[in-house]
Amino acid sequence: MPESPIIRIDGVTKQFNPGTDRSVTALADIDLTIAEGEFVSLLGPSGCGKSTLLRIMADLTPPTAGSVSLNGKSPATARRDRDYGMVFQQAGLFEWRSVQRNVELPLQVAGVAKQERRAKTAAMLDLVRLPEFARHFPWQLSGGMQQRVAIARALSADPKILFMDEPLGALDEMNREHLQGELLRIWSDTRTTVVFVTHSITEAVFLSSRIVVMSPRPGRIAASIDVDLPYPRTAETRTLPAFFDKITEVREALHGMTVAEDAA
Amino acid sequence: MTAHAGRGRPMLVAGGAWDTARRGLPVTVTALVILGAWQLVVRLFDVPSFILPAPTDIASALVDQLTTILSASRLTVSAVLLGLVSGSVAGILVALVVSRFHRISGPVLGVAVIVNCAPIVALAPIFNNWFGVTSLASKAGVAGVMVFFPVLVNTARGLLQVAPLHLELMESLAARPRQISLMLRLPNALPYLFNALKLGSTLAVIGVIVTEYFGGPSNALGVYIAQQASLPRFAEAWAGILVASLLGLAMFGVMSLLERLLMPWHESVHGGEA
Ligand SMILES: Nc1ncnc2c1ncn2[C@@H]1O[C@H](COP(=O)(O)OP(=O)(O)OP(=O)(O)O)[C@@H](O)[C@H]1O
Ligand SMILES: [Mg+2]
Repeated sequence: MPESPIIRIDGVTKQFNPGTDRSVTALADIDLTIAEGEFVSLLGPSGCGKSTLLRIMADLTPPTAGSVSLNGKSPATARRDRDYGMVFQQAGLFEWRSVQRNVELPLQVAGVAKQERRAKTAAMLDLVRLPEFARHFPWQLSGGMQQRVAIARALSADPKILFMDEPLGALDEMNREHLQGELLRIWSDTRTTVVFVTHSITEAVFLSSRIVVMSPRPGRIAASIDVDLPYPRTAETRTLPAFFDKITEVREALHGMTVAEDAA
Repeated sequence: MTAHAGRGRPMLVAGGAWDTARRGLPVTVTALVILGAWQLVVRLFDVPSFILPAPTDIASALVDQLTTILSASRLTVSAVLLGLVSGSVAGILVALVVSRFHRISGPVLGVAVIVNCAPIVALAPIFNNWFGVTSLASKAGVAGVMVFFPVLVNTARGLLQVAPLHLELMESLAARPRQISLMLRLPNALPYLFNALKLGSTLAVIGVIVTEYFGGPSNALGVYIAQQASLPRFAEAWAGILVASLLGLAMFGVMSLLERLLMPWHESVHGGEA
C-alpha cells in the first residue's frame, strides 16, 4: 500500500478563540501521514474535530500549531494549485446553474477554455452515471443525485486528493449503500487519494483502506486501523465474516476510548 | 430551460400557464362578484356619484374618454419607466459598491431601511419645485427615489446573504473576489432584486400619479384624474384611476415575466414541484 506520503500532518493543534473563556481545543498534537492512493476515513464521535482536521488540510482554517504538507506543498499553495477537491455534507450546488454548469465550476474558476470544460464535464457526468441530467437544474434532482453531482464537481479539475466531509450523511440507507459502491468504483477509476469523514463504523469499514479513529476533547488520534478486505468490495463484502470482525475491531477501538475517558 | 421537457417532466412554460389559469379563475370570479355587488349597492341605494359611481358608469366614461386618457397615459408611462429604470440602476450600483465594503454596508443599509419606511411620496411637491411642475424629471424623480430604496436594500441583502457553504466552496476552489462576485453573489442576488423590482414597479406608478396630482403637464394621467374629480366628473375620474391601476398591474406583470425569463431555476418560478 504505502508509497510516498501525499499528506503529512505534523503536531497539528487547533484552538478556537484562544485566550478567551470560550477557548476550545479542537485538536491536540495530531500526527498523520497518508500515502498516495489511500482511502482513509476519519471516524469518531461528534465534536472530536474531524471536520476541523479536514478544513485545516484544505487550508480553509489555519492550525494554531504544527504543520501540514499536501502533495509536498503548503495547504495554501495546494489550494491555489487546485490539488484537492472537496465534497461537503450538503451538496451545495448553485441552484441557478444547470448540472453541467455546476460540474464545470472548478474549471471555470481555473480559467479553462469552454470547449475543454464541456468535454471534461461530460466525462465527469459519465463517471457519476448522470450523463442524461446535464441540462437539469438542482431542484429537479433527488438528494442522492445532487450529491453525485457534487462529487463530479469536486473531481472535474482532476485533483490528486478528494476531501469528503460526511458526504453521504444526509442520505437514506438505501441511497447511502448505493453511493458507497459508486464511490469505490470512482476511486478505483480515478486513483485519487480520498480522506473521508464519517460517523458510521460500517461505512468506514466498507469504504476505507485505513480508518483513523479519533477521540474527543481534545481531538486526538486514538487508533489507526488497516482494513485489509480486498477490493473491489461489493454487496457481498458486507456479508463476509471478515467484514464483521473489522466492524467489531473498530467498534472496540471507539468504545475503549470512551471507556478510558469515562474512567478519567 | 425547455431542454429537459422531453424527459417525462411537465414542461415548465406550459405548466406555468396552466397553473396561472387555474389560479386565475377564482380571482376572476371574486372580482366579478365584487363588481356585481358594487353595481347592485349603487343602484339599490341610489348612491350619489361623488361617493361612488356604478361600475357601468365608470365603464362608459372610460369608453367616452378613452383617447384623452390614453394620450394622458403616455406621458405618465414615460415618467414611470424613467423613474423605475433610474431608481433601479442607481439602487443596484449603490448595492454593488456597499456590498464590497463590509465596514460601511451595515450602517448604510440601516439608514436605507429607515428611509424606506418614510412616506417618500410626500416629497412630491418639493420635487415639483426643484425640477419644475411640468417637467418629466419631477415625476420620474419621485418614482426613482421610491424605487431606489427597496432595490438598494434587497439587492445588497442578496449580495451579502450568500450561503456559507457556497462561500467555502468558492474558497476551496481558490476563486478570486471578482469571480466570487460574478459567479456567486450576483446570481444569488437576482431573486432579491426581482422582489424589489416587482414592488418598485407598482411604487413607481404611485409616485408618478401622486406627483401629478400636485400639478403637471395638462396631458398627464394624474393631472387628468385630479381635474375630473374637481370638476366634478367622478365617473371620468374613476375611469382614470382604473387606467392607473391597470398600468401598475401591467408593470408588475412585465417584471414577473422578466423574472421568469431570467431565472427559470428559482422556486418562485418553478413552484417547487417535481
Ligand atoms: N468556528 C468554530 N468556533 C469555535 N469552535 C469551533 C468552531 N468549529 C468547531 N469548533 C469546535 O471544535 C470542536 C470540533 O468540531 P468539529 O466540527 O471539527 O467536530 P466534528 O468531529 O466534525 O463533529 P461532527 O461529527 O458533529 O461534524 C467542537 O467542540 C466544536 O464546538
Ligand atoms: Mg463535522
